[in-house]
Amino acid sequence: MQQPGTDTWFLPDSLQIEVLLSALARELGAVAAPEYSATVVYTDSFDWRLFQQGYILHCHDRAWTLYHGDSGAVTVQQGGPELKRSCFVRDFPPGYLREQLEPLLAVRCLLPLATVQVAGRQVRLLNRDEKTVARIVFEEQRLAGAGPVFRMLRLFCIRGYDQELASVRRILAENGVNLPASPLIGFEEGCKAVGRRPLDYSSKFVMELDANSTAGQAMARIYQHLLTAVSRNIPGVLEDLDTEFLHDFRVGIRRIRSGLSLVKNVLPTATADAFKKDIGLLGSITGPTRDLDVYLLKKDSYLARLPASLQPGLASFFADLVVQRRAEHGKMVRALRSKKSRTILNTWKRYFASKGREPGPSDGIPAKELAGKIIFRRFKRVMRDGKALDAATPDPVIHRLRIQCKKLRYALEFFSSLYPATAIQLVVRQLKRLQDILGTFNDLSVQQQMLRHTLDGLRGARRNNELVAALGALMQSLFQEQQKLRGCFAEAFTPFSDPDNTALFRELFRSKQEIP
Amino acid sequence: MSIIAVYNIKGGVGKTASSVNLAYLSSKQGRRTLLCDLDPQGSASFYFRIRAPKKFNSKKLLKGGKHIEENIKGTDFPGLDMLPADLSYRNIDIALDECKKSQQRLRKILQPLQEDYDRIFLDCPPNITLLSENIFFAADHILVPVIPTTLSLLALKQLFTFLDDIGQSRSKVLIFFSMAERRKKMHLEMMQAMHKKRGVMQAIIPYSADVERMGVYRQPVGAALPGSTSALAYERLWDEICSHLAA
Repeated sequence: MQQPGTDTWFLPDSLQIEVLLSALARELGAVAAPEYSATVVYTDSFDWRLFQQGYILHCHDRAWTLYHGDSGAVTVQQGGPELKRSCFVRDFPPGYLREQLEPLLAVRCLLPLATVQVAGRQVRLLNRDEKTVARIVFEEQRLAGAGPVFRMLRLFCIRGYDQELASVRRILAENGVNLPASPLIGFEEGCKAVGRRPLDYSSKFVMELDANSTAGQAMARIYQHLLTAVSRNIPGVLEDLDTEFLHDFRVGIRRIRSGLSLVKNVLPTATADAFKKDIGLLGSITGPTRDLDVYLLKKDSYLARLPASLQPGLASFFADLVVQRRAEHGKMVRALRSKKSRTILNTWKRYFASKGREPGPSDGIPAKELAGKIIFRRFKRVMRDGKALDAATPDPVIHRLRIQCKKLRYALEFFSSLYPATAIQLVVRQLKRLQDILGTFNDLSVQQQMLRHTLDGLRGARRNNELVAALGALMQSLFQEQQKLRGCFAEAFTPFSDPDNTALFRELFRSKQEIP
Repeated sequence: MSIIAVYNIKGGVGKTASSVNLAYLSSKQGRRTLLCDLDPQGSASFYFRIRAPKKFNSKKLLKGGKHIEENIKGTDFPGLDMLPADLSYRNIDIALDECKKSQQRLRKILQPLQEDYDRIFLDCPPNITLLSENIFFAADHILVPVIPTTLSLLALKQLFTFLDDIGQSRSKVLIFFSMAERRKKMHLEMMQAMHKKRGVMQAIIPYSADVERMGVYRQPVGAALPGSTSALAYERLWDEICSHLAA
């Protein structure tokens, strides 16, 4: 179906609505609906998952509306939870709205963004059959507080009534309605008022490096970018809004640590060591909570692995994890709020922003030369370890390859803007496939270890029998899946190591000196 | 994506009222819905105050593609569009007969529309002709309103025999009681005898003046009289039908 197009204009201050209506009424019937007014709260996930897909979601008490951002067409309007500090997809009643939101948001929560007071009146324009042929909406949007007021007129067309629409447009133009406005002006201005801008955060590493920058300049910008990403997640981590804040926080930390181990000699050794130590501290503070999050997020999939008769056995296991998580989160919050950790991020952000930094030995080499060297070295490492892979490779060796792949991936991401986008996409896609399989494999391995550890800690009380049986069955299921994955290594490595892909790596990253 | 035909060999059983009200409920769920009025009388079009464009006729319908797209009109309700009927549809069988693969023409015409719409309703004329055969080929579900009387049962039997003859599955058929009057003993007995059979909906649309008056207010009952007995009956019926659509 053709999306009903909309047009939005600012209403000239001098124009009275009644004058415009009587001009319209000379050619078409007009029926005004009762005035509406509401305070709507626009909402999205921290990383704009809805906006990214072209959706705008707002709620008014418990009434939720999902829009298409471009056309303004309502996708679905339904009841839902009350949005206070945050809410999750699981808080919505089953239905079409939830079906739409679930795949987009997954574990991310919705956060209130902009609060806008909307008031207006809809007028249906009718033909001689009293059929609606177009709609106009007079609307005022006022930002919460004493914000500015936007007076607008929106025109909604109805399929198959083009002639009537043309008349309406003509009449509007004749009355001076011709300054286009964004129908989402309240949303846009409201976000600005709370310091947000659509798509201002993404968990992906996206950064444009200057092609002529030196290694030192490039790394300083990369570290600054990562430090900012880490600190932006802190409020969400402290408030425990959803598990992704902590996840993204830790990904940022890991990227910094990878950067430090990938790129040596750009920072003076003493500085690099101090930076590494500080960042390492933030990593270790947040590790235990994240580990528990991972298991708690697996709850449904764990239960699904067990026959119904064994499922109740896991209840105490998860109840215990919840208690542990609460304690660990408390500890983590205290540690993150301590003076030491609060200063870490700011100190290093300031350091990388400062002009008179002491350069390391390789500070001055061109960024692109550095990038090629690092990426190609990592690539060779992955190729060497990957070739040795077979169904009998021990778990720790596979884990090592996984880490190699991760470093290669981070290196590619850091410097991707220095290379043609399509080529980078291609090599990342192949690498990602390999990483996915190695990641799943390692997850399964780590989970079995953790369950083994839980088993070891149990004493022989009878009420533990059910738990032991459930854990045993779970380990069996995880083990079987892991064994099955072993058979897939070759399959995943072949496309990565095929001549086309390796040739592409060589062409992109191998330095001229290395070519014999 | 599903194509739902509202069909009965008999006339006056509430086909158009059902198409209009169910299509309206479908669009209210946020699903993009198209109602095709295939009845030359154009009652469904009338209910939505939509006139067929002057140049539209059965030939254009059978050509499909942009000839149809140009003639689809938006109703007063968001997400609900309509392809109005034209009087020339009365001779549609003759036109169909001239087409290649004449039983499957309608399916072919509707195929591209399925990209634009989540659900397509067909309000069918009361007869059993080449067009009906086309409808059975095209539809994923055939929704049959039945007044609980003996003659209606006969019509139902004829429909099943016909479906068997053309090799279409009986499981496409969903039956519901329409214009039912609980104070009539025969209606009650017929419904009791039938309600456990496969494909028979439990929700019943009672006989109601509200539905008859749709011709006066020219809107779906749910829009004109929300909360009325008839509006609620259609909602219950639609919910039940939806559970079959998913299956």
